[in-house]
Amino acid sequence: MNCENYQILLSEFVDGTLTAEDCARVELHLTSCPDCTDARNDLRVVVDFCLEQRGQYDAIPNERAMWLRISNLIEAESSSPARSQTPREAGWWFRLMNRSWQLSFPQLAGLAGAIVLVVAFATAFSMYRLSSRTSPLVTGIVPGSNSASIEERYSQQQQMISYWNQRVELNKARWNPQMRETFDRNMSVIDAAVTDSMKQLHQNPHDSVSEDILNDALNDKVALLKEFSDL
Amino acid sequence: MKLFSSDTRKPVTILSAVSSILIILAASSFALAQQKVSRRFPAGKNVRFELKNVTGTITVETWQRDEIMVTALMDNRKATFNPRQTDTGLVIDIVGDNRGRGDIGDMNFKIQLPVRSSVDLETRSGQINVSNIQGDLVRAHIWTSGDIRLSGVNAARVFASNTSGDIFFDGEFAAGGTYEFKSGRGTISLQLPANCGFHLVATAPVKKISMGPFWHEGMKLMGEGRRITGDVGDGRASVTVTNYQGDIQFFRR
Repeated sequence: MNCENYQILLSEFVDGTLTAEDCARVELHLTSCPDCTDARNDLRVVVDFCLEQRGQYDAIPNERAMWLRISNLIEAESSSPARSQTPREAGWWFRLMNRSWQLSFPQLAGLAGAIVLVVAFATAFSMYRLSSRTSPLVTGIVPGSNSASIEERYSQQQQMISYWNQRVELNKARWNPQMRETFDRNMSVIDAAVTDSMKQLHQNPHDSVSEDILNDALNDKVALLKEFSDL
Repeated sequence: MKLFSSDTRKPVTILSAVSSILIILAASSFALAQQKVSRRFPAGKNVRFELKNVTGTITVETWQRDEIMVTALMDNRKATFNPRQTDTGLVIDIVGDNRGRGDIGDMNFKIQLPVRSSVDLETRSGQINVSNIQGDLVRAHIWTSGDIRLSGVNAARVFASNTSGDIFFDGEFAAGGTYEFKSGRGTISLQLPANCGFHLVATAPVKKISMGPFWHEGMKLMGEGRRITGDVGDGRASVTVTNYQGDIQFFRR
């Protein structure tokens, strides 16, 4: 056992309630440890004083009123230095940062709820912005959008098409000649629609009919490539 | 003068006999190579039937029985099909069932269903014929080439699309229903009763949109007639027709 364990036993040792075996062990330790001996002596003085003075102190007449006075005194002392430390000319940031925040549970819950709401709105807004930026890649060209030129949006879509095209080309060798011919012939139909609507859009960039057809045809092309990529 | 002497007639007879035998053998071997499978499945009155085929013709008909009958004619004996019964009907996924088997050839299906059925049909190439369905949904999609023929269809939602091939619809548009027809190259023909009502958006950038008896002055032409929009009758059904390189035609039944 170390000193810490012996000092736990000291209270019972002084009271005389330890077992004979533990008592002998503590006594043996005390002969060789001055720290524990000092602790034992201090404890004995306190216990002896309490035993001597037992019954000489009456109960406080108004214990509750006295406690309130003490607590008011403590509060007044603890708050006055904080106030006095805030200079009158200090800015709102300094005041805010040096303010002592004491919140009740409902206030704390309300604050946590507000934070969650703000974070949720911010996330939803950023997701919306992100999806609206990336949607031309995923679902085709957005009709009527003026943020990017037709060529830019077309090239974005082309990236996706070339990815799926590569996957189709890898598998194409396994297809029978009839399937290859059917696929190529139908892809040329969609490509013709893309080319025609691109031509129209070059002549009239605000032609909504051509823009819709271009969008549809590019989406169809991606879907067809996807479908045939796992053949 | 004799046209055929007995000497010349003999080799002709032998030759014709041999060729007949060869034709019979070829026909029987072709018939033996094909496999015909028929299965029946119990069904309620409102059935949902789904079929995803690779190549071949799909024909869907209705009958007066509360059961589904599937008849498959398969070119390749290696091809398999495992119909899966669901709570609402039947699902056949030929693409999934034969993944990794290589070329499985044509699979031609004849499906017989209760009248109030929904059908969702898809194939990579081949024809789709649907007749007399009166359920909630009729969807027919051909990824590449093939004609779609929907006749006697009276469903709340109809979607028909292919890349090349004709689309023919003969049916009715329900108030509040949605109807979409889309082709890359081919003719889209819609044959409708005179009293039908729908809101139309028809787009054919290369060829002609012929409204026939359904044309009226209230309709709006856009992009030099490449798109026509407007209401016919009460305009309560929504109809979208798009044809990249073919015609769109409306007929009165």
